Amino acid sequence: MSTAAITFADELRARSDQDLAMIFQFRPDLVSPVPNDFSSLAARATSTPSLVRALDSLNLWHYQIVEAACVLPEPFKKSELIAVTNEESATALDYLWQMGLLYKEGNNFRTPTNLKLLIGDEPAGLGPQSVGKIDFTKLKDVPKSSLDVLAKLTWGPPRGSISNIKKPGNAIGWLLENNILVALDSHTVALPREFGIKLRQGKVHRDLVTKPSNLEGKKIDQKQVDLAAIANVSTILRWCEELLHNLSDEPPTALRTGGIGVRDLKRIAEHMGVDEACAGFVAELCYLSGLVVVDPDDQILPTSAFDIWLTKSAEERWYSLSILWLDTSRASGLIGKISDKNIAPLGPELDRAGVSLIRRTTLKVLIENPEISPKIESLQEIVKWWNPQRVNNDFIFWNLREAEWLGITGQGVISTFGVNLLNSSETLGVEAALPKPVDHILIQADNSAVAPGPLTAELSAELGTIADIESRGGATVYRFSEASIRRGLDHGKTGEQIKTFLTKTSKTPMPQPLDYLIADVAKRHGRLRVGTAHTYIRCEDEGLVQQILHDKKCEHLRLRKIASQVLVTELELTEVISELREYGYLPAAENASGVLLSQPNLRRSKSRPKPPRIISEFTAPKEAIVLAAVKTIRAGERSRKVEPIIPGTSSNETLALINQYIDEKRTLVISYADNNGGVSNRIIEPISISLGTLTARDETTGEIAQFRIPRINGVAPSLTISENKADLGL
Amino acid sequence: MSDGPLIVQSDKTLLLDIDHILSDECRRAIAAFAELEKSPEHIHTYRLTPLGLWNARASGHDAEQVIDVLIKYSRYAVPHALLVDIAETMSRYGRLRLEAHPVHGLILVSNDAAVLKEVTRGKKVAPMLGLQLDDETIVVHPGQRGFLKQALLKLGWPAEDFAGYVDGEHHEISLREDGWKIRKYQELAAEGFWHGGSGVVVLPCGAGKTIVGAAAMAHAKATTLILVTNTVAARQWREELLRRTDLNEDDIGEYSGAKKEIRPVTIATYQVMTTKKGGVYAHLDLFDAIDWGLIIYDEVHLLPAPIFRFTADIQSRRRLGLTATLVREDGMEGEVFSLIGPKRFDVPWKEIEAQGYIAPADCVEVRITLTDEERLNYATAEQEDRYRFCSTSQTKKAVAVALAKQHANDQVLVIGQYIDQLDQLSEALGVPVIKGDTPIKERERLYALFRSGEIKCLVVSKVANFSIDLPEATIAIQVSGTFGSRQEEAQRLGRILRPKADGRGARFYSLVARDTIDQDFAQNRQRFLAEQGYAYRIIDADEVINKN
Repeated sequence: MSTAAITFADELRARSDQDLAMIFQFRPDLVSPVPNDFSSLAARATSTPSLVRALDSLNLWHYQIVEAACVLPEPFKKSELIAVTNEESATALDYLWQMGLLYKEGNNFRTPTNLKLLIGDEPAGLGPQSVGKIDFTKLKDVPKSSLDVLAKLTWGPPRGSISNIKKPGNAIGWLLENNILVALDSHTVALPREFGIKLRQGKVHRDLVTKPSNLEGKKIDQKQVDLAAIANVSTILRWCEELLHNLSDEPPTALRTGGIGVRDLKRIAEHMGVDEACAGFVAELCYLSGLVVVDPDDQILPTSAFDIWLTKSAEERWYSLSILWLDTSRASGLIGKISDKNIAPLGPELDRAGVSLIRRTTLKVLIENPEISPKIESLQEIVKWWNPQRVNNDFIFWNLREAEWLGITGQGVISTFGVNLLNSSETLGVEAALPKPVDHILIQADNSAVAPGPLTAELSAELGTIADIESRGGATVYRFSEASIRRGLDHGKTGEQIKTFLTKTSKTPMPQPLDYLIADVAKRHGRLRVGTAHTYIRCEDEGLVQQILHDKKCEHLRLRKIASQVLVTELELTEVISELREYGYLPAAENASGVLLSQPNLRRSKSRPKPPRIISEFTAPKEAIVLAAVKTIRAGERSRKVEPIIPGTSSNETLALINQYIDEKRTLVISYADNNGGVSNRIIEPISISLGTLTARDETTGEIAQFRIPRINGVAPSLTISENKADLGL
Repeated sequence: MSDGPLIVQSDKTLLLDIDHILSDECRRAIAAFAELEKSPEHIHTYRLTPLGLWNARASGHDAEQVIDVLIKYSRYAVPHALLVDIAETMSRYGRLRLEAHPVHGLILVSNDAAVLKEVTRGKKVAPMLGLQLDDETIVVHPGQRGFLKQALLKLGWPAEDFAGYVDGEHHEISLREDGWKIRKYQELAAEGFWHGGSGVVVLPCGAGKTIVGAAAMAHAKATTLILVTNTVAARQWREELLRRTDLNEDDIGEYSGAKKEIRPVTIATYQVMTTKKGGVYAHLDLFDAIDWGLIIYDEVHLLPAPIFRFTADIQSRRRLGLTATLVREDGMEGEVFSLIGPKRFDVPWKEIEAQGYIAPADCVEVRITLTDEERLNYATAEQEDRYRFCSTSQTKKAVAVALAKQHANDQVLVIGQYIDQLDQLSEALGVPVIKGDTPIKERERLYALFRSGEIKCLVVSKVANFSIDLPEATIAIQVSGTFGSRQEEAQRLGRILRPKADGRGARFYSLVARDTIDQDFAQNRQRFLAEQGYAYRIIDADEVINKN
């Protein structure tokens, strides 16, 4: 651990509980897991991943202040920073200090270790610090040709290449001679940082962007927006249903890497009447919600969760889809061909860090600008201000597109439902805005039926079995055909039931041709009978068939006569043969390829829903957690004080020592690494060792605990308990 | 959310609830840009197609208007994606223009260089284009106007045609409304056509398409070539023109197998136009014989392929297509639209019926149960003979005869496909038969006798499918047909739709053998009429027999 980190740790230690809580609020990754003490908190806070996260969460202004802080020689005064930035920066400085991206040394500031490394060698496009003597007066005498060179290097990049440092030419030569440029190697010259700042009129940035620009776009009335959004909401719910029904009818086989193949996606998109990007998105939504799963045998099928989902209200269904979309790290926009590589929906290659952060920011900007349908460029600029490190214009475009598909926006403007969703309101207002379900249809003479609005779930399921859907949208157009009626009959309805149902449901009288169609199909239906049987026995001698059928010994074969020469049974072929042989018959096996097995109508995967994991952004922790964390660190700090430094022991030594102490029944202190790699000292009373695990009583908790031998770094006899307690101040 | 009459579906169909109080207003508003697809009793279906939207652009509507109409009348929120799609589609129209150039003839012009580049890269388009004059202008090879328009349409960049029409040789024609008056819809149809320049008018059989043609000629006041299906139809056109216009006998020529007259108004048959002599179409020169100002295609749904090709060459002449049923089982409707012109006028059959211009019709499907022997023979017949077998069964013959006898006091047409079946029926009923080999003279004599009522019943083959005007025929008995042809069914119904002097309704019997392929075909045949709101009633053949 470097000295700086320890100093950082000291400074952290000196902060008030409130300030500590602030760090955790701003940098939630630091609470999971809670660090043991201040040095591990400091180490964690200066670790590259944590710093990157912290920098990622900065807006452009704060990021610029960090750059400016990295430019200044340390320690620096607040006034020095204000000098190279502007007055407002004082507040930003406080914020950065609270985040633990700066720490104080007296009244001065320092940057924690690693921060400069992450910002890079040339913060804000400024060159290296000068090693030679700096004489700003020379700048007055710069010849004209050299001024052009300086102009090029001033705003970065601060380096320039030349063919040969030995023959630099007049303009550069003069600057080198006067130490205004320095040579980095035989081909590169650079403008030192001090001169850079001087030439930038004493500032680090040309434009210090202290707030985002205003969102440009078209003004749209909220009423129009909500109308458009509700159309989107009903559409996305319908799309999900259609997709899942389609997967049930024709389950595609997953690619080897998982995911839906190009051809299957195309087919699904055609079925849904949307483009492939949209179909891919809908598939991903269903996947997130656990409505679809890749089976162990690689079939992609809806899960039983789908059936439950269908019974829910539209609002609940929409909520379940949207809420997962907000947090998912899967970027559906990637689906498709990207430089010769196909990225498949439901596949493993869709995760992108930062996509949900950008999504949240995008929606935040939309919420702050109601009734504005944003120009994408303007929106991208604002999102870039909020997340300069993570911004990705594609993500923003996809997020907008997906928000529209979902109805979180309507015509590009955030809808009331979207606002309610993001504010976690009790009701989203979707149910009230959706058109009321209708409970009737209009049957017409061309054997079609129109449901002039969304049908109740019950009716649509019923109609779906006896008619084919011809057109969807606000209304649904159904067509009756021989095949569709037959399907209804296959579902166990009778012709009479279908007629009664239609007469009851239709507002218009049933046209005679349809009546006839149903009667005709019903009459023919079932004239051919198909069943399943495991094994059949056939024999041209009908007498023999009768004999077997009435043979008492064969009763348990449960034979059934389906024709004068054929018996069937549910038992296995081999079983039937061996039994018959036993009873003195002489059967011969036949190739069983003639047996037909009918497929069940609704296929569902037997596996449980396995939605994809989400690379989640750390969300701000709850207050209670933060307070607990602060408390833990403080407590850890106290216990650390009494911890003797335990000499490290090898595994063999450890084993030997512990065995010895078990015999002596002594209390001892071990240095133990926990699951998260944090090392702490534990005071224990060893009890026994088996299978590489030490069973002991933990003095702190008073409970029997298991310790893994390989994780014990050192063992030492403890002070007596009373000594211990005295030290702890108890 | 309004409680409008229109439901906009995401598959770009529009459902119009015709029982709604605003349905009439809405129908008029959407007719400008949506195609009427079907019009059964309660809910009519319109469809938004690129072609329809472009036509709307051509006649001066913009995307904003279209979207406003949809939103105004829609019962539910209109899917945003659909609105975006409409705006995008409509913005494609007019980026390319066809113009006449004093030096280079026809030129293709665009202000959008990228679009021009895109279309010139098209494999089909490139050979039709000549020299590029500048970034925005390309010369079009002469005679390619029709083909180019068609190809551009397929690429999704329809060209707006400013090249205009030739007026043709002037010939004074006007309507002579003595004792009759042109009907409102006929006038609207003719005006719709004239305003659009070229196009197709769809009207039900019996609704007086000839008069629309005459009115169009009166607009054009120019020499006119009329293409019809057969000689009998040609003569009917001639008589009708003499009656409705101030043309005299010498103005009108017949160009058919029998006569080859070329006059200011010439009526030619498709058959003679497509007759080949020594491997070449001998009579296509007729198109160039006179500087025609107008070409009328009667029964445009039957337009044969060679005429298609030739029509593409004469894009600078005004073209009017007339039909009752623009459904082609060969799916060539699109070609008709792009070569003759878009649909300029269409009206549901039931609406004309409600106005009393065509007779109300009762469509009856008579289900015939084959005898066991017939069924067995049918089951063992070869696949390709099955339809013929079941549709010409003896049982059917008996039912047809029984039906005809029931209507002994009405004017009855018995219509069928198979000659031997027709001969048998003619013999059984003791009435004459008209078929392909009946001479024109004899046909005309028989039709005349039928019109005058001296013959009460005629047995006819498919030669009587179209264009035969038999005003007093009230009953049609169809015994067999061209498989599942929808337009044939509609045309045959059309034979009996002329309003009757005493206001009687017409009745159309279709005889169908139960549980055979005949029934499947019948279902397809009836679809067009069912979509036009004609509800078939089904009765059992036993009812017919028992009545006797």
